[in-house]
Amino acid sequence: MSQWPRYEVFQQDKEGRPHQNAGSVHAPDAEMALQNARDVFVRRPNCLSLWVVPAAAIFAKTAQELAEDDTWQEELDSNTDQETYYVFQKQSQRRAMTYVTHVGEVEASSPAQALQRALQKYKGGTPYVWWVCPARAIFRSETADVESMFAPAHDKTFRMPNEYRVVAQMYEIRQGE
Amino acid sequence: MSEEEKLQEFEARIARGEKIEPGDWMPAEYRRQLIRMISQHAHSEVVGMLPEGAWITRAPNLRRKLILLAKVQDEGGHGQYLYHAAESLGATREEMIDALLSGRAKYSNIFNYPSLTWADIGTIGWLVDGAAIVNQIMLAQSSYGPYSRAMVRICAEEGFHKKQGQEMVMRYAKGTPKQQAMIQDAVNRWWWPTLMMFGLPDKDSPHHEILRRWGVKVRSNDDLRQEFVNELAPQLLALGLTIPDPDLHHDETTGNWVYGQIDWDEFWRVISGNGPMNKERMAARRQAHEDGAWVREALEAYAQKQVAGSR
Repeated sequence: MSQWPRYEVFQQDKEGRPHQNAGSVHAPDAEMALQNARDVFVRRPNCLSLWVVPAAAIFAKTAQELAEDDTWQEELDSNTDQETYYVFQKQSQRRAMTYVTHVGEVEASSPAQALQRALQKYKGGTPYVWWVCPARAIFRSETADVESMFAPAHDKTFRMPNEYRVVAQMYEIRQGE
Repeated sequence: MSEEEKLQEFEARIARGEKIEPGDWMPAEYRRQLIRMISQHAHSEVVGMLPEGAWITRAPNLRRKLILLAKVQDEGGHGQYLYHAAESLGATREEMIDALLSGRAKYSNIFNYPSLTWADIGTIGWLVDGAAIVNQIMLAQSSYGPYSRAMVRICAEEGFHKKQGQEMVMRYAKGTPKQQAMIQDAVNRWWWPTLMMFGLPDKDSPHHEILRRWGVKVRSNDDLRQEFVNELAPQLLALGLTIPDPDLHHDETTGNWVYGQIDWDEFWRVISGNGPMNKERMAARRQAHEDGAWVREALEAYAQKQVAGSR
């Protein structure tokens, strides 16, 4: 048995909200990764858009790693071929579900340069984790797919806990004890 | 920094309530304990599909069939969230699946018991998923970021699992004499194995101290077990059901429902492979893996064809 490549999954919950990392899936290709991501992370109606990115295409550093080691840095070079990199940060230490969230883009000629530019451009707050990946590595759900991929979850109201009136029913039973 | 200073900083971060993330320094033992715990948890979700999956074709109506299908799908998804969390520590999916299929890996003992009647489906939902939620709400506060986030996601979905089960138990408990007898029989069989789900008493638990020290677990097994009994016992009794524990009673001074002696010999017998369903569960899991081989091969062939075509 040999495992397929791992893809990180980013999910957008609401219009105007950034994509957030939800977890990862394994798949033989990006198209299948997107399908798997839908089955694993979107069984309930809270998704407008999904991105999948090969885990190998992501350059990641925690704040601790950045503080202790700068040997990964490169001399910044604006002349060679530049491309767009997406930048993600973990911005909160609160006990919530948020991990790395999409904050913007930089132009760079390598992952290390992209992270250096991101550190300058998005230096506000105290980010705990940084991820950068080339825009071309992202495979996205198409607007035309939203209906077929995400709408079926809307009708499955029985997946939601508030479909069941057990708390009120139990209260009534115990009042009559 | 020396190893000792790194350890001090690590423990200080946990004390401040920070999450440890992949890439951060962590003691090798923290990594080892988390891989052990998270992979076992993932396997439990996957094996946990089997007792309930067996009843999908026999659900009494379409609504119940849709609910059960959705619940079993969720358990499969929960296994995926957890395998992801373990992979973030350096475990590979391949090693973990291999450990499960070869029988080296452990999974929750509760799934080595049979689901004998349809009433078991409601009882599993309310009792087994209810117990799992108590444990998982605690684990959502775990110090390791990916595990904590997987737990938050899982707890949000388990609310449905527990409530659909409770709805069914309540309906049967207030139903015909035959339904009442079915649900009582199911509660009788599942009560004690459910209490064992919280693990050994704290004094006998080999990993307890280190897991608490590093914030992997933030409450004790006995504490969680007591919370569960306090929640469930009065509700089951209010429905006119009995609980198969002659020593169970409400202690006015502590407010706790005090339960009798758990049969840990049975726990060890089942976990070491001699429970009623151990062999069937592993056989079903291996069969499912083998039956899916052609799908994996087809996907692989398609992906390779796409790559060849794009050259």
